[in-house]
Amino acid sequence: MAKVEQTAKDETGFEPKIVAFLCKWCSSAGSDLAGVSRLQYPSNAVPITIMCSGSMSPMFVLSAFNKGADGVLVSGCHPGDCHYLKGNFYARRKIYLVQKLLQFIGLENDRFRMSWVSAAEGAKFAQVMHDFVADIKKIGPQTRLKAKRP
Amino acid sequence: MTKRTGVFVCHCGNNIAATVDVVRVAEELGREEGVVYSKDYVYMCSDPGQSTMAKAIKENKLDGVVVSCCSPTLHEKTFRDVTEEGGGLNSFRCEIANIREQCAWVHSDKPKATEKALKITKAAVKRVQHNQSLTPIGVPVTRKVLVIGGGIAGIQASLDLANAGFEVILVEKNPTVGGHMIQLSETFPTLDCSQCILSPKMVEISKHKNIKLLTQAEVKEISGFVGNFKAKIHQKAVYVDPETCKICDDCAKVCPTVVSNEYDVGLTSRRAIFIPFAQAIPATYTLDESACLGLNPVVCGKCAEVCEAGAINYDMRPKVITEDIGAIIVATGFDLYGKENLGEYGMGKYSDVLDGLQFERLCSASGPTGGHVLRPSDHKEPKNVVFIQCAGSRDPETHCAYCSKICCMYTAKHATLYKHHVPDGQAYVFYIDIRSGGKGYEEFVQRSMERDEVMYLRGRVSKVYEKSGKMIVLGVDTISGKNVEIEADMVVLALAMQPSQGTADAAKTLKIGRDKDGFLAEAHPKLRPVESVTGGIFLAGAAQAPKDIPETVCQASAAASKVIQLLSKDELMHSPTVAKVRLSHCTGCEMCVQACPYGAIDLGAPSNKARVNDVLCEGCGTCQAVCLRAAIDVKNVAQVQIHDMINACLGV
Amino acid sequence: MIDVAQLKAHAKGLLEKGTVRTVFGYRKSTAGLLAEPAGITEAAQADDLIFDPSCVQNLALYLVNDKKHQAEKRSDDKRPVAVVAKGCDSRAITVLLQENHFPRESVHVIGVSCEGTGVVDASKLARKLGNKKALAVAFDGADAFAVTTNEGTQSIAAAEVMAERCLECRSAHPTLSDVVFGEAKAERGLHTPFQAVKAKIKESEGDRWAYWSRQFDRCLRCYACRSVCPMCYCDECVVDSINFVIAPDTTAEEKAERIKWIERSPAKSESAMYHMVRAIHLAGRCIDCAECERVCPVNIPLRLLNTRLEMEAFETFQYSPGSDPELPTLTSSFRDTDPNSFIR
Repeated sequence: MAKVEQTAKDETGFEPKIVAFLCKWCSSAGSDLAGVSRLQYPSNAVPITIMCSGSMSPMFVLSAFNKGADGVLVSGCHPGDCHYLKGNFYARRKIYLVQKLLQFIGLENDRFRMSWVSAAEGAKFAQVMHDFVADIKKIGPQTRLKAKRP
Repeated sequence: MTKRTGVFVCHCGNNIAATVDVVRVAEELGREEGVVYSKDYVYMCSDPGQSTMAKAIKENKLDGVVVSCCSPTLHEKTFRDVTEEGGGLNSFRCEIANIREQCAWVHSDKPKATEKALKITKAAVKRVQHNQSLTPIGVPVTRKVLVIGGGIAGIQASLDLANAGFEVILVEKNPTVGGHMIQLSETFPTLDCSQCILSPKMVEISKHKNIKLLTQAEVKEISGFVGNFKAKIHQKAVYVDPETCKICDDCAKVCPTVVSNEYDVGLTSRRAIFIPFAQAIPATYTLDESACLGLNPVVCGKCAEVCEAGAINYDMRPKVITEDIGAIIVATGFDLYGKENLGEYGMGKYSDVLDGLQFERLCSASGPTGGHVLRPSDHKEPKNVVFIQCAGSRDPETHCAYCSKICCMYTAKHATLYKHHVPDGQAYVFYIDIRSGGKGYEEFVQRSMERDEVMYLRGRVSKVYEKSGKMIVLGVDTISGKNVEIEADMVVLALAMQPSQGTADAAKTLKIGRDKDGFLAEAHPKLRPVESVTGGIFLAGAAQAPKDIPETVCQASAAASKVIQLLSKDELMHSPTVAKVRLSHCTGCEMCVQACPYGAIDLGAPSNKARVNDVLCEGCGTCQAVCLRAAIDVKNVAQVQIHDMINACLGV
Repeated sequence: MIDVAQLKAHAKGLLEKGTVRTVFGYRKSTAGLLAEPAGITEAAQADDLIFDPSCVQNLALYLVNDKKHQAEKRSDDKRPVAVVAKGCDSRAITVLLQENHFPRESVHVIGVSCEGTGVVDASKLARKLGNKKALAVAFDGADAFAVTTNEGTQSIAAAEVMAERCLECRSAHPTLSDVVFGEAKAERGLHTPFQAVKAKIKESEGDRWAYWSRQFDRCLRCYACRSVCPMCYCDECVVDSINFVIAPDTTAEEKAERIKWIERSPAKSESAMYHMVRAIHLAGRCIDCAECERVCPVNIPLRLLNTRLEMEAFETFQYSPGSDPELPTLTSSFRDTDPNSFIR
């Protein structure tokens, strides 16, 4: 039954809109490596390069959902590898809280994701993209926090 | 917000144009608010491309520029230079939209890729429209260099820098400089004696007026930034005054404590008070606190009693030395792969299974056997010696995945040296394949096979065990396809090179990255191989990757020349994309002060609001994410820019 | 049992000597059961002060407001102000000190014990009394309130009419004070802390959204929650595009760079944004005085929303807001051992 629904959803041609916040030094560089390696992944996520995952304000996440994002990804350097020494540790704590809050008000779990992708992990970046897009396709469009605009 | 943005969309030949409809991107961007010029071009980074851009900026009086092309890591600088030098517009008014690595190269559906390229470019337009003109911040530099590690890399870098007129502080954690190279007997492929070529350089280090050598010292803390670091160095108490020590050996003769000698890799022993070897620099005895019977209170005191020069002083205390420095070279070297990991070869179990460095000591005229190759177990001359290459290297399942690079050569050297010492003996080498790239290297290996009749067996050894005084080596010769069993008198393992503990410690202290194997990470594997990602910190030697002596010397001199280049200017330029406080909104809650990884923010008098030190600020934006009041923003990556970019990405 | 006469005498003494500029305390309201906040400046007014289970408000808010008023008046009276603070209120003051909102010496904290019983929830009490109307409420031993109605005084089990937050209170006694009246009663422990949040978490995602969506839909965006919250002391709220502050040093560029994170209209999505931003901004700062929920004209369960992250702060990061003014705040600190497994 679940499988049937799945196919039905896919046939609607739903293409999720995703904003991917990538830190400049690891994850953005990792996405560059994915590019150089010509690893193919779905084009749904539009990257925004930020200096550090530590600069990821919760406002960005909430705003993206408000503006109609079906998914939001934050990706930074692995713990201990932050170009700015510890920005990603601050990010981890903050993003954790944001995620808990979003879950609490009932936004679907899979819509907001954080990953660690290093500059060397082009393949991982592509995989993260594949997984995220696939997971969001399963849940369908985000309507809960999306603003209704004229 | 600026009003006259120009957009330049690059085809990158077919690299972008094959997957992204660049003409459509340029057309649609031309209709964006505030965009007055939008054009596609086959190669933006080419000379004609750059001139087109410069001309368009001038003719259209552009106040913001977006180049939609490859990753900013490649050509951001190129296009910012064109903007400023060719277009007469501040370089910070130029932003890159990465539609190659992050779009064209990773997608194949042209309409979808074009949609994404449009969003990426529109977001960049939104961003650039809020950009401010900025000028780099000039920072005075300290023309002094810290070199960490006194092996051949550190020695070479220090001498190059000192000879160029820079002050150098060379920090070595052992009692002498020389590193692993000074332990070697001869060096490949010329077989010149390692001590003979290194000792003069060590002496030069000790005599050079521009070099301050700190042995038994470790860098404990680094603060500051490129051109203006502050180092905190801890130096152990050595208890012997190097100036008065006459190196007479009287103290060691009476010392009752015997410990294993590191210099001979445990093949000999030394006293608690000792000199590592005769040519050690600094030329002085030193008291090993950890081996001494006791200093506080003094338990034995015999060495001080016999020292006629009165050089021994038990009241010496560790020192903390702080130095202002402008640049750092990390040359912390390698260790051999832990022998405990190689139980199958009997390492650490049988005394006649040696590692390469131990074998070097056996061959060395200054070594434990006076230059005779003798078995450690019974001091007999070994007649059959098996050398095993790739012991720990090239074995991703259980050991190190990488090739340690120097083992093929030094094994050939060991086998050759052995034949020189024991002409009637037989040397066997188990190898996976021979990697002998390098000047004179291949000829050297061939010579060892032909002239010295070293038996090369292609295959792995499965087990080494002892049977009636012999080491039985079980292996396979994959060329003949037969199992081989050799009754050896001695087995020498070419252990993998791994980053030293000092390398791990330095990476932590200096906050520089390491690769997956723990070697120090260079800023770019091809184009910036001697720089770390952190400005002002450079890499040399085997701490960065396994390498032999000539390569190490090359890299050390390269790092030195990079430092000279850095410190030859009176002022360094610091990026102006730093945090800025909106005083009207700051309440002085101190959250940014607490979170700043660089300690660049404090509360300033009189209003006790946040104040950014532009030179310490690296522009990471951690402050902006913790501020509840949006009272702090990084210039040109402000929250308003991210806000507008989010909208552009979502097509709102 | 707390002796209100002592409290009055102390306040009177402070004002007589002139050591404080104002004493913020509670007095009997003319508009209902609950006490009303009073800022008194004359020694004689000290006789009006009361302290009983009807004193629900968090007076830390008045310290914040007083600071604003003093700045507006350009007053040069640098004397401290005194404030009557229950356990929860004292934690709010601690958070304000932690954020350097005012210096410690500018506030004289008169700690009061809310005994074993906390404060009342007026609506619970009204429900309990049915047709009767409560006129006054007093502490009555460790687990009861003495409620006076038009039909006389009766004792009611405190747990039945106590404010929800008091049922879950983890530190009822003032953590910060210059003087304390009443017995120290640290733990009340009637309910497990965060029990309401935990119950809500157990519900399905869809049910939770149905619930919150209903709540956010009702929000009028009157901002009463923000006005009553001592932590919402910003002059300009990041999610409110109508209260931009134009200061003398506001540059044209700053005016241009104002961000309109959400729309003004009280649509469900925008109200959800507003409440979530407020919850995020209160993470590690909310001390659970529940004033936002109490003042909400449409009864949005804001306490439930805001304590969600307080639970996380306490259980995951071992961080208790308002426990120590010297600590770095929750979000401007981290530990190596913070949760990592949620990251891919």
